[in-house]
Amino acid sequence: MQWITIFQKELLENARNFKWIWVPLVFILLSVMDPLTTYYMPVLLDNFGNLPEGAQINIPTPPPPEVFWMSFSQLNVLGILVVLLMSMGLISAERKSGVSEMVLVKPVSYTSYVTAKFVSTLLLTLISAFIGLLASWYYVNLLFGEIPFSYYIGSVSFYSVWLMFIVSISIILNTAFRTPGLVGFLSIAALLLASAINSVFKTRIEWLPPQINAYIKGYLSTGSITDDLWITAFLTIGVTVILLVASVFILRKKELAA
Amino acid sequence: MAFVSVDQLSKTFDKTAVIKDLSFQLEKGKCVSLLGQNGAGKTTTLRMLSGLMKPTKGTISIDGASPSSDIRSFIGYLPQHPVFHNWMTGKEFLVYVGRLAHLSKKEATTRAESLLKQVGIEDAKNRRIGKYSGGMKQRLGIAQAMIHKPKLIMLDEPVSSLDPVGRREVLTLLEELKQETTVLFSTHILSDAEEVSDELLLLHDGHIVESGTMDDLQSQHDSTRIDLSFSKEAHAFEVPISQIDSVENVQREGNQLHIYAKNIENARTEILKLASEQDWPMTKFEVSRTSLEDLFMKVVNQ
Repeated sequence: MQWITIFQKELLENARNFKWIWVPLVFILLSVMDPLTTYYMPVLLDNFGNLPEGAQINIPTPPPPEVFWMSFSQLNVLGILVVLLMSMGLISAERKSGVSEMVLVKPVSYTSYVTAKFVSTLLLTLISAFIGLLASWYYVNLLFGEIPFSYYIGSVSFYSVWLMFIVSISIILNTAFRTPGLVGFLSIAALLLASAINSVFKTRIEWLPPQINAYIKGYLSTGSITDDLWITAFLTIGVTVILLVASVFILRKKELAA
Repeated sequence: MAFVSVDQLSKTFDKTAVIKDLSFQLEKGKCVSLLGQNGAGKTTTLRMLSGLMKPTKGTISIDGASPSSDIRSFIGYLPQHPVFHNWMTGKEFLVYVGRLAHLSKKEATTRAESLLKQVGIEDAKNRRIGKYSGGMKQRLGIAQAMIHKPKLIMLDEPVSSLDPVGRREVLTLLEELKQETTVLFSTHILSDAEEVSDELLLLHDGHIVESGTMDDLQSQHDSTRIDLSFSKEAHAFEVPISQIDSVENVQREGNQLHIYAKNIENARTEILKLASEQDWPMTKFEVSRTSLEDLFMKVVNQ
């Protein structure tokens, strides 16, 4: 089947570029950084802080869910940057170089082409996020106190919806523009804009995609999945589907050669 | 009904018309060359035929399929500067595009193997494409265009970027291809077009200025003449030749005579008869025909 062919090609490409190694590694690094530095902060300050003799430092130990959430925040900045940089040439680079002239002149369905690329990138991103956050969950349990494993599964699952939305933003910009750098820049701009819109309107519309982060944080501290979280998740999935359909539409409208 | 028929095709980029009311037809099984200078609109025409670009107006119909249907399954296309996934091997790429063209994995593999052999890069099949030379990429490009046995194969400047050896090899390959399928290729090298194609389409400034077989074109623009060279001053032979009925005009240029005739066959017979009867010291006898180059220059300068 054609979809599988493109999907396999993407997986193979990611393997040959060693993305299956470095992306998970970066995610692990980003995820465990905050729990570790928070725990060892007093020790670090003691040894390297250059504090005057006899200074008293009293940092209250944050509760485990809060520490675990720090990992999500870290991924939300640097992890997402990695995802966007990794995916900015997904379609645009193929169009720019001219490979797509040869690939899309074969009877390839545009829907397969777009969705196979979307799923392969998402798969890499999600696996990296699951592994990275698992490492973080392990250290939080070890150093700060217990968080049930189900909380890890639940929070990362809902976080996956957010990541899905991010990849779809990159995909639609990939179909609209043929310069990877521009796609990367615009994706970051689009996410910043989405966050800004969310901050302005969150009192009136409570379920905009970026708001899902606040609900996941709430879920981690209370353990209950609120209706708001469900609604936001479903709306985010809906927006993602719309973005993908629009991407296929844009690509079909575009002239592949220029 | 013609195999490919192009009707009133136009393409405009930012208000500049690149293709203007282009109409032509291709017959099945022919090898046709699209000839023109750089910027004449060859690439744009091929891109529109392959569906990579949408015509501003006009229609393209291939093998009777409706213009809106997906023609991609029965065409093969080689871009002017083929770019591949450099991290793939030659064989992997062929299997990949074969599978995209709905071949089964087994079919795609067999087809890839046989094409790699046919285009002569079998030794390099497991090497990364990034390490291929220009000629090898060009051949891989032809192979990928052929992978799904298209009814029409379009090659954009298949030989222009190659060295003489590579050029010769690809031309030989084209000769083989035209046994199997309908070929349309663009070139600005006249001798290549003359060598492999059955028919020519001369494209200039976005429209077809001349088309037909080489013979058609020559008879249309006939300026056939006979050139004679002698080992001594040609003055003595001018008079008897000008007395031949079918000869219209004779020009002398040192040891050479240029003879323009109404009926070239008759003139030739008569001249050769005179030459053998009177034992002329002839060093050269040539019926020179309009070369494609003359024709090209003439058409382009019109």
